[in-house]
Amino acid sequence: MDENKKKVLEMLAQNKISIDEAYRLLGALESGRSTSESTAKAGTAAKMKSKYLRVCIMPGSGHEHGDKCDRVNIRVPMTLIRAGMKFTSLLPPEARDKVNGALHEKGIDFDMRNLKPEEMDELLEALSDVEVDVAGSDGETIKVFVE
Amino acid sequence: MKRPPMLMHVKIRGKRRGFGLWLPLFLVLPLALALFIILSPLILIAILVFWPKGWRKRALHIFGAAFEVFNSMRGIKVDVRGEHRCIYISAI
Repeated sequence: MDENKKKVLEMLAQNKISIDEAYRLLGALESGRSTSESTAKAGTAAKMKSKYLRVCIMPGSGHEHGDKCDRVNIRVPMTLIRAGMKFTSLLPPEARDKVNGALHEKGIDFDMRNLKPEEMDELLEALSDVEVDVAGSDGETIKVFVE
Repeated sequence: MKRPPMLMHVKIRGKRRGFGLWLPLFLVLPLALALFIILSPLILIAILVFWPKGWRKRALHIFGAAFEVFNSMRGIKVDVRGEHRCIYISAI
């Protein structure tokens, strides 16, 4: 049983509050919980809706060679990222050691052997909150986001 | 279940010439199945040869993961445009 509900019932048992007050307090506790649950569900649903990872690179209007610069517009389905990440489990141990070594050289202390499928799901879920927006001095913009 | 991509549009344009292709991806799975049936005797021999080395599990995982990657390709879009070149790849 919920701690708060227990407290209300204890107060009722000790005659500190009336039956009507206890009823109202319990009702308020229930509605509070359902509101927080629906908010959490809405947040999860919004995350589940994110379907694509977008990378956009646009040259700035003030750029000397505005039209000569590359424009990049990439849209990658999240399902493809999820499927692609499964390939990491197929890496032979020697290759993983090499990757770990290379990461360590760059100052990233990360062991690929510790990466579990459920953590990958969490990682992808967290990716839906990522938004990178870089504006260069010439006006060029780099955007990475999930939609 | 994920729907596999039906078509892939590839468009490449260089400084002087370019080309565009519509690849019928819906034919890939029937063709792969036909190829699998034709090559099944060789696949069987390969399985028997590599069985003791423990590669069977890895090979099955690779096939499974490759199939899932193919099925997840619907919606991918790569559009890179420069002054003299343009690369456009889209799977629908």
